[in-house]
Amino acid sequence: MSGDGAATPDGGPLGTPGCAQTSTVVARPGRLVGAALCCYPARWRRRHGAEAAELAVLLIRDGAPAAVIAVSYLTGAARAWLARPPGRPLSTAAAVLLAAACLLGSTAALVAETTPARAASTSNAPASHPPCTSERAAHARSC
Amino acid sequence: MSKPERDLLRRAGEASVLVLISLAGGPKHGYALIQDVRQFAGVELGPGTLYGALDRLERLGLIEALPADERRHPYRITVPGTAALRLHLDSLERVSAAGRLRLQLGGS
Repeated sequence: MSGDGAATPDGGPLGTPGCAQTSTVVARPGRLVGAALCCYPARWRRRHGAEAAELAVLLIRDGAPAAVIAVSYLTGAARAWLARPPGRPLSTAAAVLLAAACLLGSTAALVAETTPARAASTSNAPASHPPCTSERAAHARSC
Repeated sequence: MSKPERDLLRRAGEASVLVLISLAGGPKHGYALIQDVRQFAGVELGPGTLYGALDRLERLGLIEALPADERRHPYRITVPGTAALRLHLDSLERVSAAGRLRLQLGGS
């Protein structure tokens, strides 16, 4: 499905500007949309790149703003990166996001766990009373 | 008693359902899909949303790509896709009927 040397429906040149990995492409939909298409994974661009660029050209010709199309493709690109490719249990990007979410979650849980202990340690406990430790957070009433 | 069929489209999103409904009327490529959805649903599908829906539906085996016509890939609904769409539309009809009934009972 090589589109090299061919022309767009309106006779325009082919090739997606600024997207080195999409050599087999494409109707030229404009810089903004071209850049958005470059954000997709290479596997996606090989499959849909040429058609997606041509679709953008047709939609722009119908009166759709190029910026709206570019935003739609950018959103789609983010989703394509996060989607699990067939045969791979989890994409790298998703794994990184998952790890970050786990880290945030565990930090939040840690903060939530230590906060009652701190609050309890500022109560009107007698000076001789030992300070509350995080171990005793669950038994804050005894402090 | 047989296990009830799972509604694959329940969490697939509105765009996927609209694309599947459009393909139920015959194979189409991206531009024709956008135009058809605009016509029957009044919804303007963004191209990024469209390709996301196509990828999702293809992964689920509900549609399949036909041989490319120049740069355009037409898609068609598969037999499991037809069954899934029917199941989903039945479910929507039940929900819709319940909603209408409650509106009547509530006097709204």
